[in-house]
Amino acid sequence: MLLLLATASTFGVCGPAYSAQSDSQIRQAESSTIVFFVVFAVLTLLISFWAARRATNSSEYLTAGSSISSGQNGLAIAGDYMSAGAFLGLSGAIYASGLDGMFLAASYLASWPIVLFLVAEPLRRLGKYSFADVLAHKLRERPIRILAGASTLVIVSFYLVAQMVGAGELISLLFGIGYVPSVIMVGLLMIVFSTLGGMRAATWVQIIKAILMIGGSVMIAALVLARFGFNVSDLLKTAATNHPNGNKIMDIRGFAQDAVATLSLGVGILFGTAGLPHILMRFFTVSDERAARVSVFYATCLIGLFFAMLFVIGYGSIAILRGDATYASASGALFGGNNLAPIHLARAVGGSLLAGFISAVAFATILAVVSGLLIAGASSAANDLVVGLSGRQLDERMRLRISRIAAMALGVLGILLGLACEGQNVAYLLALATAIAASANFPLLLLAIYWDGLTTSGAVVGGTFGLISSVVLTAMGPTIWSKVLGLGPAIFPYDSPALFTVPLTLFVCWLVSIATAEAEKDWRLTQPSVAQYVE
Amino acid sequence: MHKATEDVPSRVTANRSGALGLRLVLVMIVPYLAMMAFLIHSARHATEIAVVASDFSPAMIALASCMAFSVVLTGLFVFVRHGD
Repeated sequence: MLLLLATASTFGVCGPAYSAQSDSQIRQAESSTIVFFVVFAVLTLLISFWAARRATNSSEYLTAGSSISSGQNGLAIAGDYMSAGAFLGLSGAIYASGLDGMFLAASYLASWPIVLFLVAEPLRRLGKYSFADVLAHKLRERPIRILAGASTLVIVSFYLVAQMVGAGELISLLFGIGYVPSVIMVGLLMIVFSTLGGMRAATWVQIIKAILMIGGSVMIAALVLARFGFNVSDLLKTAATNHPNGNKIMDIRGFAQDAVATLSLGVGILFGTAGLPHILMRFFTVSDERAARVSVFYATCLIGLFFAMLFVIGYGSIAILRGDATYASASGALFGGNNLAPIHLARAVGGSLLAGFISAVAFATILAVVSGLLIAGASSAANDLVVGLSGRQLDERMRLRISRIAAMALGVLGILLGLACEGQNVAYLLALATAIAASANFPLLLLAIYWDGLTTSGAVVGGTFGLISSVVLTAMGPTIWSKVLGLGPAIFPYDSPALFTVPLTLFVCWLVSIATAEAEKDWRLTQPSVAQYVE
Repeated sequence: MHKATEDVPSRVTANRSGALGLRLVLVMIVPYLAMMAFLIHSARHATEIAVVASDFSPAMIALASCMAFSVVLTGLFVFVRHGD
């Protein structure tokens, strides 16, 4: 899911060197990768055709009829988190500088209890298709749905572009084909898959992918540890010896430079997860609140296990790959980029077959994540934006049709933007999406669930403020302002503005709600679902 | 225009579980911030802390503790709420 803010150039730095290597092992890996890739592509298409036969109404299409079990949903949520970015980016970050990557992993894991304690149960209890259902439960529906639809589509679009560019570069690298055919291939598969199969297909592909990803990670980690006689101390000692930074790779480095920037990043991750539309959608696919919270527990365990494996893989890649001319240059940079660390490591410890398997799993990961994004965007477009703008509820048939059209349109948009952004470092869009989720969606959800005094005006003004302030401050930060746009020193000193925008959004919501409470009191008393909250 | 959701939950139930949830969020955030502060401190004073290359560093132990705490706290909450 998160292509990692700190590894901003995750896929951008991957040049064509990988497929250009003359090493025979790499050529063997390419053929095994293609075999696994074809198997996954056929499997996902079969799943989508199977799911399409059941997707005859919007509930089935958008939320799999709320019939997914807690165990299955836990695996699917974990699958959303075990993205190619997390797998390749975190391992690559550890390979490059040590413990910084694990700091991000700990932050992502710590965000899940927040999701569980604050939003999982209320979402399942009050929502049906999108998080706006929770807000609309006690606020005026039209403005709230327009705002929620707009922020969801902005977040989904940013995520989609970053994933498509990453997918194009990764697949062209792994399979030795061009960027354009890679983007079009992924995009077409994604459109067919999402438009036909809906949430059930997306969930099952996430489940299969999560199992394969965890299995593959455990296999690599076990093979790495076997090389060191299952002695982790030996592994770490070798890693410290091989790395130019020596023992310093046992501590965080980059994140220790600026405490405020690190704190802001941490706040963004902690609260951003509870505002990401494609994550929140997962709670509508289970039958009740109990299943929702149990699925979060399963997901947290699986994500924790996955990150523990990444620790071994990251340090294992330092210990095994650094200094090996087959995989790394004299400076220590891996051929194809540091983010290929787990794939190189798979080849080093398990041969070309394991490397091909892991490469194909990385591809399946991208497909599964972008499909989930399309479903979340389609759901919000049909249930929030169209309902909010038209001012009337949709009938079942119309909702399904609009959802499918929206999924297709978002897929085409993803392909076009992916092609337009070739060669661009677009990972900052993920920082932006997370900041918006933390600053615009999370405060509204929190206040709507836990504060009876929230008014429609407070939510709309506060949400709009969170949306605009997070976009503007991120754009004025060092990454976009200085590095991407080249406009000189950054106006805002931090990449993630969440430390400032989250409390400010909460404050604006509170202030406007207090100011407009009297004006909205009459309306609230006429609403049966709201009157109980009014003193 | 009617509401998308029909059933209205009991306010009392929502408030009781909500209060527990808010308290637990603080229980999660405080150790997370403590872990972050420790990591930054240990990185800035690396030479003062005896880090043995052949063992886990204090920073690694802090990270692992925070991750384990996240999982355990989630499990405890699920376990306790099953009794409701």
